[in-house]
Amino acid sequence: MTTIDEQAAPIAIPIRPDETKVERHERLHLLVRSPTFLLGCILAGIWVICAIFGYLIAPHDPVAPDILSKFEPPSGEHLFGTDKLGQDVLSRVIVGARAVLVVAPLATIIGTVLGTTIGLVTGYYRGFVDEAVMRLVDAILAVPLIITALVAITALTSVGQSSSKIPLILVIGFVFTPIIAKTVRAAVLGEAQLEYVQAARLRNERGPYVMFAEILPNVTGPIIVEFTVRLGYAIFTVATLAFLGFAADPSVPDWGQDISAHYQSISAGYWWPVLFPSLAIATLIIGINLIADAIAQLYER
Amino acid sequence: MDDTQRRVDAIRNERSELENHIIDEYSAGKITRREFVRRGTVVGMSIPLVSFLAAACGGGDGGETTGAGTTPTATGEIQAGGAVRVALIQPTTEPNPLLVQDEGGAGLLGSTGEFLSFSNAELELEPRIAETWEPNEDGTVWTFKIRQGVKFHSGATLVADDVKTTFDKLINPDGGSANAQSALGGVLSPGGIEAPDDSTVVFNLDAANGNFPTLVSSANYNAIIIPADLDPADWGKTFEGTGPFKMESFSPKVGAKFVRNDAYWGTKANPDSMELKFYDEEGPMIVALQGGEVDFVEHFSVSGGKALLDDPNVNVIAVKAATHRQLHMRTDKEPFTDKRVRQAIALSIDRQALVDGLWEGQADVGNDSPFAPLYPSTDTSVAQREQDLEQAKQLLSDAGMTSFSVDLSTWNGFEIPDLAQLVKQYASQIGVTINLKITDAGTYYGDGVFGKSTWLDSVMGITDYGHRPVPNVYLTAPLSGDPKVGVWNSAHFKNDQYDSLVKQYVAALDIDSQKGVAKQIEELLLDETPIVFPYFYYFLSASKKNLLNTVSAATGQFDLSKAGFTT
Amino acid sequence: MARFLLTRLGLAAITLFLLSVFVFVGANLLPGNVARRKLGNLADQSAVDQLNHQLGTDKPILVQYWNWISGLLHGDLGTSLSYNLPVNELIGPALTHSVKLAAFAFVMVVPLAILGGILAALKRDKLTDRLITIGGLSLTVVPEFVTGIMLILVFGLWLDLFPVSANAPDGASFLTELKYLFLPALTLVIVLFGYIARITRAGTIEALDADYTRTAALKGLPRRVVIRRHVLRNSLLPTIAVVATQTGYLIGGLVVIETLFNYPGMGRLIFTAANDKDFPLLASSVLLVGIVFLVATLLADIAYSLLNPRIRYATAE
Repeated sequence: MTTIDEQAAPIAIPIRPDETKVERHERLHLLVRSPTFLLGCILAGIWVICAIFGYLIAPHDPVAPDILSKFEPPSGEHLFGTDKLGQDVLSRVIVGARAVLVVAPLATIIGTVLGTTIGLVTGYYRGFVDEAVMRLVDAILAVPLIITALVAITALTSVGQSSSKIPLILVIGFVFTPIIAKTVRAAVLGEAQLEYVQAARLRNERGPYVMFAEILPNVTGPIIVEFTVRLGYAIFTVATLAFLGFAADPSVPDWGQDISAHYQSISAGYWWPVLFPSLAIATLIIGINLIADAIAQLYER
Repeated sequence: MDDTQRRVDAIRNERSELENHIIDEYSAGKITRREFVRRGTVVGMSIPLVSFLAAACGGGDGGETTGAGTTPTATGEIQAGGAVRVALIQPTTEPNPLLVQDEGGAGLLGSTGEFLSFSNAELELEPRIAETWEPNEDGTVWTFKIRQGVKFHSGATLVADDVKTTFDKLINPDGGSANAQSALGGVLSPGGIEAPDDSTVVFNLDAANGNFPTLVSSANYNAIIIPADLDPADWGKTFEGTGPFKMESFSPKVGAKFVRNDAYWGTKANPDSMELKFYDEEGPMIVALQGGEVDFVEHFSVSGGKALLDDPNVNVIAVKAATHRQLHMRTDKEPFTDKRVRQAIALSIDRQALVDGLWEGQADVGNDSPFAPLYPSTDTSVAQREQDLEQAKQLLSDAGMTSFSVDLSTWNGFEIPDLAQLVKQYASQIGVTINLKITDAGTYYGDGVFGKSTWLDSVMGITDYGHRPVPNVYLTAPLSGDPKVGVWNSAHFKNDQYDSLVKQYVAALDIDSQKGVAKQIEELLLDETPIVFPYFYYFLSASKKNLLNTVSAATGQFDLSKAGFTT
Repeated sequence: MARFLLTRLGLAAITLFLLSVFVFVGANLLPGNVARRKLGNLADQSAVDQLNHQLGTDKPILVQYWNWISGLLHGDLGTSLSYNLPVNELIGPALTHSVKLAAFAFVMVVPLAILGGILAALKRDKLTDRLITIGGLSLTVVPEFVTGIMLILVFGLWLDLFPVSANAPDGASFLTELKYLFLPALTLVIVLFGYIARITRAGTIEALDADYTRTAALKGLPRRVVIRRHVLRNSLLPTIAVVATQTGYLIGGLVVIETLFNYPGMGRLIFTAANDKDFPLLASSVLLVGIVFLVATLLADIAYSLLNPRIRYATAE
């Protein structure tokens, strides 16, 4: 899924300013009643709760190696069994939500903020700046996302060996910026033709004002959709990078990392340390995607 | 009996001081027959001679387990020929005898290359390129007799000069093999090797060294004998060697194929061909063995290979080894300047649990010194340190450090992250908070010099050490106070009494004196505890049930020339 | 038409140039002394300096870039630091492997996904549609290593139907090679199916709802003819674009699948090059993957415009 760079046209239809308030209320109502949205919220919501209250909910201490109790199958005591160090898998899955739900949203926010800014600037000003930036964006997008992320994270994590998540957040944020920029730009292109923009120009409003105060509020639709979609990708990328070995502290529960540490044990018959974090990743991403889909459908109607 | 005695006396008259020491120890029952055979071959007595003396001079003890390190032998049942496929961990360097520093690369070198002698699973030295070897009176000059009639795969005949130049290249300070130099530094210097004729090589050592022949055996995996006129950088083109297999093809990152060398000086290889396949990770290797895509896995770990340990269709070959991890604590930096704190950390660890849990029992408990239980020179009467949380806490409070936090740096290979997490857990039980900082190997080792390497600069870290058949290197490089010798001294340990004891150990030529010094070293290190040695784990390889007579050595090298399939 | 083609080629060339700069800068950002990596941690500093001078890594960065580019244009991709071999010799086999796997997965997933998408569009909002869309989505969204692991478990170990390493023995027949590639290819199929099907579905729906379709139906043409003649062609347009954009991923981005199945493709080559700080290998292989992507999208654009005349005259986006 990291793979899929949606270069198709944006899904949203530009909103006329005079329609805003009433439309928005109606949209929200539709949203809350959509079954896709509700299902997505439930799936994602479970993990958000786990991320916030993890340590309180978890039945055991997730960071408590007990080497002689390793690889115990699921039982009453350990509903999801124990991992290779004897730690309770259920507790690690619950607490593991925190790692991914801290990194992914932050990274997506960074990417969205940067991407939106670039998209606004290039979509509004057009001309040479637009062409140059778009060529650069195309160049970056020519390389598969996972490769760019991988090379960037290798560079950053080799410099210092800190166990902070900041390099990861920055890398994923930057790596998503080009595609978000492209989508926002497409939306802005549509807006820039409309009357209210021309009117603002005639009033001699300055560029930044027109972009941020006039256009931006009207492209929030596609931005929100893009954000939620990218959030799903971010979670996917975090898990994949962790699987490939880019997490620093293995004692902190992290789904991708835990899977990476245990997948070789599958052949010995120890499926539970791999299955449950995998299901966690899958349900969280599916949940986020259902929400994204529901929001997108809103704007399609 | 008289006759035998006379023969024994005659033999003894021709032997050196050192060899007579060994014979004395054996006659007096101080060493077992097994150890006698081992020590004897190491100092250069031929196997027939040793066997004769063993029978004549003592009542050896029995209990010889059949060749540890080989799959069950069942000669007569194996088929001639066959194509053996081996799973080998991906070599990380190009095939250049001077540059290889990893297990995969060592596997390549040993596939076609041969050494002066082969260090087998019982730590005995089997003659290969060298037929015999012997020391002078005080062990400072070693003379090796080179086997005649040995041909390289290209057809050229091997002479003593090839041996001399091989070692010259290895210990050349300007572009030699860093790995070889770690073993021979301070022992052998450039210019110390002579080849007076085609069949003799003389090594003039810097100082007496009773373990020298081991240092130039297969245990030093860069020391394959190559032609004098071959540039090591070109070795990868032909894999030039003298062994029972010669190279047919080599694809970097994928694998290599070898065929039987019909011009081999010894017993021709049984298999028609041997194919090495490179794997980046252990998991796929194990799956490949179970799935029938390979017949032999050169090395697997307990943690990754649990499936193999329980699989009835697989032979697991366990070789006792001295492979270990060192948990160092910088003696010159807080919080570890007070040795009581270091002892406390050492006491918090439950070593037996580590052996049982991490290694399924396939390891020996370590006692915080390089003297692994498998070494004959280890004094095992020294008390084994065990987990004692109460005493640990007491020591911490005596030192005024009841709770503190510290960073532990290491890298993410093998079971090291697991060990790190367990150490963190044990430390938390005595009030110490450890923060783990785990990166990849390149970042951890850095440039390999003080000031530019996490390994050498970190306050606390875990480093992996491969097997060596004698503890000499472990005693010097990681612990010596002399900056020219202690190039791996991550604990920044400086103790003059220690350094002088090590000098004595290295110079000691017989078991008794070695053991006596070892005892003092072990006790000193238990007291100072700059490094925790939690375990020494066994080397595991695996073969399909129907592949027999494979030979593994703890260095990671394998010899499949005698192997064959049953059906 | 010619003008359109020239414009596209020109833009592609600029993008290519920027890509080369981006890749070169990226590869050189990786910290780590080149010669040090080659000689190992325990080597002497003077040896390291000497090697750096020999390799030319102590020259100013612009000079190094120029050397690299001019080498590329002559077909010389540089020499790998870790393996001391020309990069060509390493990329050649890896690329072949990647192409084989990609082709196999492609051949399976494209027809399947197109059928699925069209079916979903025809049965819009009914159960079939829901199953295909949501089912496909759910499978797409699961990370590849999870899907791959599940397949290994089920087909490779428990059912023992397929080999779990993707490398067939030398000289194996074509069918045997396919057998070995089946599991990784199947993983890819599962990953891509939902996405391609969704795009096809959207394209088909748009075509179904379009004026020309209703016109054709009103004219009295039977439904099947309508679909075949009008809808199909237009519904496949977005699919072509999407498939092209996935080529970059299929050739160079499969690092996870290649690791799982021990398959020596481009993805893993790039991964190890990054880890080994093997700058020449890394830069050249990433550039190659980028070029593949650019060429594929260019071809797709051309195909798209040939099939849909309206595009040719629209302003370039």
